[in-house]
Amino acid sequence: MMGRTIFIDPGRCIGCQACVSACRECDSHRGKSMIHLDYPDEGHSVASLPTVCMHCEDPVAPCAEVCPADAILVTADGVVQQADTTRCIGCANCVNACPFGVPKIDLQAKLQMKCNLCYDRTAYGLAPMCATVCPTGALFYGTLEELQAERPGVQVADSFTFGTTTVTTGVAMVVPADKVQWPVPGGLPVVEINGRAVR
Amino acid sequence: MTEPPQTAEPTPAPGDPAAGAPAPGTAAPGDPAAAGHAPQTPAAVRRRASLAGTVVSVLLILAIVLGSRLLRDFDSALLPYAVATVFLAFGVAYRYTVWISAPGARRLFRKGWGSFFSAANFRKAPTALPKMIATYLGFQKFLGARSHARWAAHQLIFWGCLLAAAITFPLTWGWFTFTSSTGAGPGYEMRIWGFKVIGFDALSVLGWLMFHGLDIAAVLVIPGAGYFLWRRMKDRGAITGQRFAYDLVPLLALIVISVTGLLLTFSSIFLHGGGYEFLAILHMVSVVFTLIYIPFGKFFHIVQRPAAVGMQLFKYTSRGKDESVLACRRCEEPIDTTPYVENLQGTMRDLDLGEWAEYCPRCKRVLRGNAYLDHVKKGFK
Amino acid sequence: MTATDPATTSGQPLPLDPSLAPPGTRAFRDAGGIPADRWHADQNGETLVPTHCCFCGVQCGMYLRVDRGGKVFGVEPRNHDINRMRLCPKGINAYQQVNHPDRLTAPLMRSNRDEEFREVSWEEALDHTVAEIRRIQGEYGNDAFGLLGGASLYSEKTYLVGKFARVALKTRHVDYNGRLCMVSAAGANKLAFGIDRAGNPFSDILLTDCLLIAGSNVGECFPVMTQYLWGARDRGASLIVVDPRETAIARTADVHVALKPGTDSAFFNAVLHVVVAEGLTDEAYLAAHTTGWAEVKKTVADYPPSRSATICGVPEEQIVQVARMFAGAGKAMAWHARGVEHHSQGVENCLSIINLCVATGNIGKPGAGYGTITGQGNGQGGREHGQKSDLLPGGRSITNPEHRRQICEIWGVDETELPLAGTSMMEMVWQMQRQEIRGLVGICNNPFVSLPNYATVKDGYDTLEFHAQFDFFLSETAANAHVVFPVTVWAEDEGVMANAEARVVKHNKAQEPPAGVRTDTWVMCELAKRLGAGDKFAFPDSRSVFEELRIASAGTVNDYYGITYERLEETGGIAWPCPTTEHPGTPRLFEDGRTYHADGRIHMQVVEWHPPMDPYSEEYPLSLTTGRTVAHFLSGNQTRRLGALVEQTPRPWVEVHPSHGFRNGDPVRVVTRRGSEVFPALVTEAIRPDTVFIPYHWPVPTAANALTIDALDPRSKIPEYKVCAARIEAAERVDEVPAPPTAPGRQAYPETQVSRLDPLPPTSPQGRGTAERS
Repeated sequence: MMGRTIFIDPGRCIGCQACVSACRECDSHRGKSMIHLDYPDEGHSVASLPTVCMHCEDPVAPCAEVCPADAILVTADGVVQQADTTRCIGCANCVNACPFGVPKIDLQAKLQMKCNLCYDRTAYGLAPMCATVCPTGALFYGTLEELQAERPGVQVADSFTFGTTTVTTGVAMVVPADKVQWPVPGGLPVVEINGRAVR
Repeated sequence: MTEPPQTAEPTPAPGDPAAGAPAPGTAAPGDPAAAGHAPQTPAAVRRRASLAGTVVSVLLILAIVLGSRLLRDFDSALLPYAVATVFLAFGVAYRYTVWISAPGARRLFRKGWGSFFSAANFRKAPTALPKMIATYLGFQKFLGARSHARWAAHQLIFWGCLLAAAITFPLTWGWFTFTSSTGAGPGYEMRIWGFKVIGFDALSVLGWLMFHGLDIAAVLVIPGAGYFLWRRMKDRGAITGQRFAYDLVPLLALIVISVTGLLLTFSSIFLHGGGYEFLAILHMVSVVFTLIYIPFGKFFHIVQRPAAVGMQLFKYTSRGKDESVLACRRCEEPIDTTPYVENLQGTMRDLDLGEWAEYCPRCKRVLRGNAYLDHVKKGFK
Repeated sequence: MTATDPATTSGQPLPLDPSLAPPGTRAFRDAGGIPADRWHADQNGETLVPTHCCFCGVQCGMYLRVDRGGKVFGVEPRNHDINRMRLCPKGINAYQQVNHPDRLTAPLMRSNRDEEFREVSWEEALDHTVAEIRRIQGEYGNDAFGLLGGASLYSEKTYLVGKFARVALKTRHVDYNGRLCMVSAAGANKLAFGIDRAGNPFSDILLTDCLLIAGSNVGECFPVMTQYLWGARDRGASLIVVDPRETAIARTADVHVALKPGTDSAFFNAVLHVVVAEGLTDEAYLAAHTTGWAEVKKTVADYPPSRSATICGVPEEQIVQVARMFAGAGKAMAWHARGVEHHSQGVENCLSIINLCVATGNIGKPGAGYGTITGQGNGQGGREHGQKSDLLPGGRSITNPEHRRQICEIWGVDETELPLAGTSMMEMVWQMQRQEIRGLVGICNNPFVSLPNYATVKDGYDTLEFHAQFDFFLSETAANAHVVFPVTVWAEDEGVMANAEARVVKHNKAQEPPAGVRTDTWVMCELAKRLGAGDKFAFPDSRSVFEELRIASAGTVNDYYGITYERLEETGGIAWPCPTTEHPGTPRLFEDGRTYHADGRIHMQVVEWHPPMDPYSEEYPLSLTTGRTVAHFLSGNQTRRLGALVEQTPRPWVEVHPSHGFRNGDPVRVVTRRGSEVFPALVTEAIRPDTVFIPYHWPVPTAANALTIDALDPRSKIPEYKVCAARIEAAERVDEVPAPPTAPGRQAYPETQVSRLDPLPPTSPQGRGTAERS
């Protein structure tokens, strides 16, 4: 099912943000980091979550579907590219339609930017910058077989539930063996009782 | 083309061929326009687009015939160019119709034009639209934020092409004529649709400018396109993923048109017409090719780009009222103007995507991170 | 739900340009490198220079990208076997120091501290410095002039610092900032093993069954080393982390012992107590390879888990659990860092861990052993070759007559001329206060941020009649000096460093220094020439120094003789001792069961716990502990100028437990017996309720070290950074982070300083989340 892609394991992540700095070093968007690093358990623990573009396969790229300018192209190998600079009108539809919260927008340049799986590096046979430098392997680039060779017994999941919608992605996340048959919860929608979020 | 409806909700217009059509479209990677559950089938969209293209082409032919005083002013040597513009009109109308049939584009199209034609908006901010047109479409300020050099090069190409189009389109359609009462100048008069607009001396500065407008356009376009071509040879970011037909052909076409155009002038002045025939054909072929290419490649952004103004006008005019910015349900940070987010939610409903636009991207990630910690695994194992 | 429109409520007319997007989606600030809109990804003529990172003791390999004009402009990961292409945020941004606008490019001078610096010629600065040295030494004796080195220098330069002090200045007062770093481990290693280095290479971690990390926030201080921890766990190893804070590695560890700061030896004694009680010791190993076991066994008998659990504030069962896990594992390994070393009982703490490893027979085997993780890039190499007050090159002792004779012969000086042992860095500051030291040259250090009890440090330095400092950015200390020499960054010279594994690695020169900048080697040699010792300092480059260092270390424990630049380039690093050019180096020590003591045995040392030096009281009930954050390095003189790192962690904070009732971002005053400062609170359950934490990379008025105590370990003379008594109280507003100092007429590179004044704490100790940046 999966070829060479990124595997994310937040359990290994130490939140150091090497990926954030490394992304900025990429030649095609030098100075601008596309990766997100969040500390979701703020106040309780130092847990962290790196987010690269998940390259949604089914439904194919919500960001591309809602784009009014046909600016987001999907390559034959499933890489959802960042907006075509000539077409993007900077409307931010993709920013708010992405279930994973990935695209960013340069308001001054009227241009969406997002992780494109380091097309400029993978085209030369190099791993994406973030996964190359990640000190912990929380971001791993390779095939599932290569991942499992390094981490015996590890399992991955490539589908996420958002309420009734299930999104299958090109980028996968590491899950424990007993949870591999279920999609990973996407955290949405939030269940609310009397206006207060409960999980 | 029909006038855009002013209503906010996507009620299908009567007579819309799409109304009642079966919902699911086939999703094809790389072609988001046709992806998702568009309310029209691709076949219906194609039919409507063909119709739009035909109508626009016919209208253009009529305009040519009438504008050239029933072909009296039509220069038959320019016939291939005129034919190409008719194809261009068909292609643009076709592509445009297909484009705005996709859910995202359709809704924004309505909102954009709605804001454009809103008298209330005009009264409230009469200068907003002209200013946006000037900064986004004319001076393209946003390009400067991407790269100063690219902005400069694009401005050269833009003004060069605009100048060239302003001269050549009316000429090929027979709308402009230059006549001399003495037969061979130097006194000329320029007529539009047969009406005299201006008289000038061909040997004066004005006359020189009139006759060399296209040369000036070429001189603007060549360095601009040259810079982009050079960048595409050199810049790793640009080289990666660049496609010959999409990224390089337009630049080559612009350069060929400009260079052959300049050579035509060179030939007539210095070579007494040497090689003129060949150059004229080469020039014509490249122009015709480019015109027909416009709807299908990179140049389509010329047609699409005004949507940026529509989008911004929509966002701009829906702000400033009370409580018009939607806040994230979780962190209460502003996301975007409420009408804009509602419009996006409509699009997402059309596409059968979930209801997740009312959370900001950070909260989506944090919620997902928390869900992972709670339900998948807390730590290393 | 709606929000108030930021544009309309601010009273300004609504901008035509788009101005609204959710947080974290629109932040594209250039991070201080080349501004993004002026960046051209033109890679023609690019060369990659293989080298290593300038920062921590892991010494990750990296390539520096050099353009056709010979300028460093970027970094590319390098598949060196230490780091396997991985880099941390500091390493990725390190290259931006090289052509940084804040660089010093001319010597700065002034006759007293009330004047502004003025730029002067090298001749003038060198002549003036030498005149001052001669004046002070003439009036008050040679020992009235001191020299302080640093452990981020190449080993060649650290060798020169020691030689310059003893041969050119002829002073006993030389020490270095490694004194603030890992000397406790060094002392313990010398006592137990007779050799001062980690016993095992990093790669052994992958082979272990149980890994114990004590007092080290590996995820933030040595991020790239985390891959070895995770690699071990992937292969089934269990992980024990001993740390008052729940750090990134502690969060997911099998056991996290969140003990009270300053109680490490009580904990490890109790663990050993349980190991003995449950019969898990390796008696055969102890009998064959150790001395002192009986005494140690007797001492730990006084540390039952019930007693230590009270001292340490951890559950009794956890002590038992750790003992069974560690001693029950087939191969176990312990690594520690500053958390156990920065104590008035730092040496004891290290010894108690060594005792545990030795008693369970976990020494000198693949996957079983012991090590300290050095904090500075050359933390290991910097302490080996004579810039320490009591050591001569090759780890020789300055008090050993035989060692003195050997070095005098190599250096060609008369034995009577060789000074005696000096004092430690903190003691030198006290001597400055007492005017026993009246002049000082500082090389590669920033004590105004890095030494404890800032008030004392400032007073000591202010009392100096003459102070010169070498640096490439104007540090807070250099800004207080009389003369500042602008020297090279690491990428502008070549040299070797030894990482935490004692693996010597070669750094290569990637670009020429800017005009006006000289190497530290050149400056020391020029000063020596003017002091009349030019014949002993005829070193044109690092290579010539290294050749002398090889000879000077030959035959010692720290034997570098077999290491050459060529071999280092071929191999990617050689661990000393390496006595001959055919020798493969010694990645793992004690494989034959012999230590470097004359009897070949491990000398186990009795350890008794005592309370920290700063007593708790009703007024000061809490423990203040300090440490690092991932985006910054040591005194921050380098990292506080790199935009990406400032953006990640703009300012220090105080980490407090929610039980104190503060909310995130509240201004909290931290008071100790030495001073008080106000920090924004980072309220988190990941810290003990009786402990507060402040990262130390910033200068006053946001300096953790304005609060810490200058109590020293009596043996290693390391200051007790990791625990002092404190209280916290609500305050009005947080203290602002000052801009990094710059040469006169210059301003700290504004693009990098944008977020510095942001008053909020980071989202998490690792920094701001990418969506929470100002």
